[in-house]
Amino acid sequence: MSKSLPTPLEGVFRRVPGVRWRQQAERHLRVELSEAENLPALLALLKGEAGYRHLSAISCVDWPDADEFELVYHLDSYTTQVLISAHIRLPAAPGRYVSVSGLYRPAGFFERDIHEMFGVQFEGALDLRPFILTEWGGPPPMRKSFDTEGYVRDHYQWVDYGPEWLAELEKRGGGIVE
Amino acid sequence: MPDYPIYRDPPEQCRTPDAEERSLWGRTLERIADHCRARSLFVLHYCTGCGAIELPPSMTSRFDLERVGMQPMVTPRQADLLLITGYLSVKTLKRVILTYEQMQGPKYVMGFGSCTINGGMYWNSYATVKRLDQYLPVDMYIAGCMPRPEAIQQAFLQLMEKIDSGRAQNWKEYYRRYDHYLGEQQALFGEQFHTPTDVIGEARHYSLFGPETLGEHTAKLAKYDLYHPGQGAVDALEVKR
Repeated sequence: MSKSLPTPLEGVFRRVPGVRWRQQAERHLRVELSEAENLPALLALLKGEAGYRHLSAISCVDWPDADEFELVYHLDSYTTQVLISAHIRLPAAPGRYVSVSGLYRPAGFFERDIHEMFGVQFEGALDLRPFILTEWGGPPPMRKSFDTEGYVRDHYQWVDYGPEWLAELEKRGGGIVE
Repeated sequence: MPDYPIYRDPPEQCRTPDAEERSLWGRTLERIADHCRARSLFVLHYCTGCGAIELPPSMTSRFDLERVGMQPMVTPRQADLLLITGYLSVKTLKRVILTYEQMQGPKYVMGFGSCTINGGMYWNSYATVKRLDQYLPVDMYIAGCMPRPEAIQQAFLQLMEKIDSGRAQNWKEYYRRYDHYLGEQQALFGEQFHTPTDVIGEARHYSLFGPETLGEHTAKLAKYDLYHPGQGAVDALEVKR
């Protein structure tokens, strides 16, 4: 595994403050930014100077103990052929960030999805209307604080299943373990 | 006086059948019709779940559904049997209800796999519907995750037998108890939920208007002026028994 960065990346990382990078695999870099607000600058530099034209995905992780959301921007370049995952952390309250859809238009969909599933607000996003959960009225369901089982108990019914053989089994001390 | 016989309408020698006889005739014809229906089922697949993968083997040469008179059909209006193959999310259930209501009676619904019975492996998912029969009248379930083509074949034969003997009458329940079904649907989709189908009008058309066709849930439809624009919604939903 090589430890040296492709030349355009080195220049980019030097110009953005608070960048730490670690090689995950031969062609995969994990980049962490200590200041979340530097991310648009990093993306702009990567796109302009290292050929990172492709935003594959934006993912979100909820860290309930730290009260933080982690946003991960996955970028790929046909020039350097190194996948970059740029990590930033946001405080869960108020959970706001800026949209990068001006830079990468597909980001609009990822931001809409994250807004729906985690409740993160993206300022300047293209569209934040419900995307997949059009029938949804509850809290953002992918947050760790969302009680899925409780929600299911409140909103759905089950068929009771109590066949005779199970009753016999339970009489002998067996049965379904909860 | 003309020299040819005059036929009166109705001819005097014909008697009018009384109500009991008429119903006996009706039942006999229905019995014959059911016998024929069971042998010519057009199947509409709602294949969003994984059950869809078990259907091609059931239909193709090895198990060959066509030999029992079943064929896939592409439109709900010409189909007899609606197959719900696998889990339904809240969003797809809405489309299923719309599809079901477009089918012409008599119509049958078959739930495929454990997901339609109790949510299956999605039992704790917030987005997956647990019981299909809460929202639509289901004629038969096939248990399993997924049921093998043999089980599917067996279930189809059982359904045919059920139709043939006149026991597959659940579709009538949808009309007789429309208020109940609409109430369950509204509990899931919100109080403003309704389909553009005139179920109440159809219930009247099929003479399946029951005491539970209208109720507190259908009363909420009154404000939409759905089925008879211009005439006023209250007119359309008035109780005629």
